[in-house]
Amino acid sequence: MDESTPNTAGRFALAYVSGALLLVSYAAWHYLMGHYARILLPALLAILMLVAAVLRLTVLNHPRLPAYLALIAGYLLLAVELPRLGDSATLWVGLAPVLSTLLLPLMPALTLNVVMAPAWLLLCGAPLFSDPSLAYLTAMALAPLALWEQRRQRALMLATDPRDRDCQALSRDGLHAHLDSEFQRTELLHQSLAIVVIHLPQVEMASEQFGSRARQALLDTLCREVRRCSRRHDFLGRQTLSTFWLVLPDTSESGAQLVQQRILHALESVVLVDTGPLRSRMGLCQRLPGEDWQRFLRRLLDLTQRLETQ
Amino acid sequence: MQSKYKVGLMRLNLLAGALLLAFLAPRQTQLASALLLWLGVLWLTLTAALLEFSHRRPAMLPWQLLPGLLLTGLLWTAPEGYALWFWLWPAVLLMPQPSWTLGTNLMLAGISWWALYPLFGPIQAAFVGLTLAVLTAMAMARRHQPQQPVVRQRVRLVPGLPLWSAHQLTEDLPRERARCQREDVHGELLLLEVPRHQLWTTARMLCHQLYGFESCYRLDSRTLAALLLSRDDVQAGQRRSTLMATLPTPRKARFLTLATADDLGIPLADFQRQRTALTTDREFEHG
Repeated sequence: MDESTPNTAGRFALAYVSGALLLVSYAAWHYLMGHYARILLPALLAILMLVAAVLRLTVLNHPRLPAYLALIAGYLLLAVELPRLGDSATLWVGLAPVLSTLLLPLMPALTLNVVMAPAWLLLCGAPLFSDPSLAYLTAMALAPLALWEQRRQRALMLATDPRDRDCQALSRDGLHAHLDSEFQRTELLHQSLAIVVIHLPQVEMASEQFGSRARQALLDTLCREVRRCSRRHDFLGRQTLSTFWLVLPDTSESGAQLVQQRILHALESVVLVDTGPLRSRMGLCQRLPGEDWQRFLRRLLDLTQRLETQ
Repeated sequence: MQSKYKVGLMRLNLLAGALLLAFLAPRQTQLASALLLWLGVLWLTLTAALLEFSHRRPAMLPWQLLPGLLLTGLLWTAPEGYALWFWLWPAVLLMPQPSWTLGTNLMLAGISWWALYPLFGPIQAAFVGLTLAVLTAMAMARRHQPQQPVVRQRVRLVPGLPLWSAHQLTEDLPRERARCQREDVHGELLLLEVPRHQLWTTARMLCHQLYGFESCYRLDSRTLAALLLSRDDVQAGQRRSTLMATLPTPRKARFLTLATADDLGIPLADFQRQRTALTTDREFEHG
């Protein structure tokens, strides 16, 4: 998700450009040493890295492709240079597992490292079961731990954070857990429960036509206006990308209609910079007396579907 | 809600690393580097043992700093054997960590480059330094921002359980109090103190005793709180006795009516001074 933000793209592009500079300086060093035959490869790979940087900045939807290019550049140079390095080969071979860890997702990185390990050990000339090859294998086992930890923390946040990542509303999972518990509560206390379904048809086209900032403005405006129109214990959650549920515990049908009118009125007057007047479609779903959770949820989902396809 | 994520594979990777280090350690002739390798084995094994999918142990700082320190120590004491591990620095920098440990690790990486300088020779040292800079740039681009403290305050402590932080209670308490008054519902706050090692099992048991719409909070390493809702005083009394019958015994408990508990500070201080095992605060009526 955060792989497609412009900020990350810029930082990756910077890393690729610095890689290109490193390759250029390596080629220059060969030139100074008079190894003219060895200049061509790093020079070509430097161009490849520049291409990767440009791709990373221009094609935001495919962050993998430039990473593959950078990895190919690193691996090619390493494979060609390792046999010529002599004693230092056992130092530079350690780059291979770290490069794949930095550039690939966890599982592909692990697989590639395991598959390539014999080849790298052969290229650097270290005998099997010697200290250098054991050290290489250990480095290969330790490097991906950082990615494991990243993955664990990200999954943990997704599983425990009830809020949506983009706006001040509950996420889909958080919403469903909250709604489920609110349903139980109203049932135990014999209260009514109403839900206002709000669909913003502009959200999807906004990010396509005007970029993520226009979409953010839409979401922020909705959350702010709904908050202004509701009580403290009403809660707003994001059911789908463009549809929100406002859950109103202990609210009768007339009360919910009033809330709906109030929100509609508040949203009507909003005009945003990119998308113009804010359009919205709303529906009301009141829990019927004696209705069970499954039926109620199905009715709610049907209403949501109807509003989205209208 | 229950997540499908399993920590098993990560634990396996940690143990594989520990095993390889344990292979290497006896082959060391120098005492210092052998000791450092064994420390590394210990660190990896303990991390694997303590690893779990919850916010119970948010990564402790000295714990995160240890791999960087071990790596520096090892490169310092045995540069010729483990020069290859110099390339582990980008992985250390890639670990989710606060910015000051990141700074420390960057500095340590610089120190180990300096320690390896005589081994590399000037030209190679320059290229190693440049390559490390490029890899660091990649690691920084890929870095996952650690959880902000603000975010940490609002998440469930264990996936799937209604167990929240103390900060969340200070937000929920006034809201629930107002809501109970409006809806004419009997709300109570339960404060529960248990021995430190029993806190998480008790929290789990307490969470299973609650209705879906009630929540449990961890106030500190010994104290839990829960918001209980009942239709009336009679039902509340029944719930109190069932709860007290099921929860493990060395404990101290206090039930407060939500109507009297507008602020958490005073009841909590009273609770800490409380000598009896169970107290139930009632609202005074003066007619």
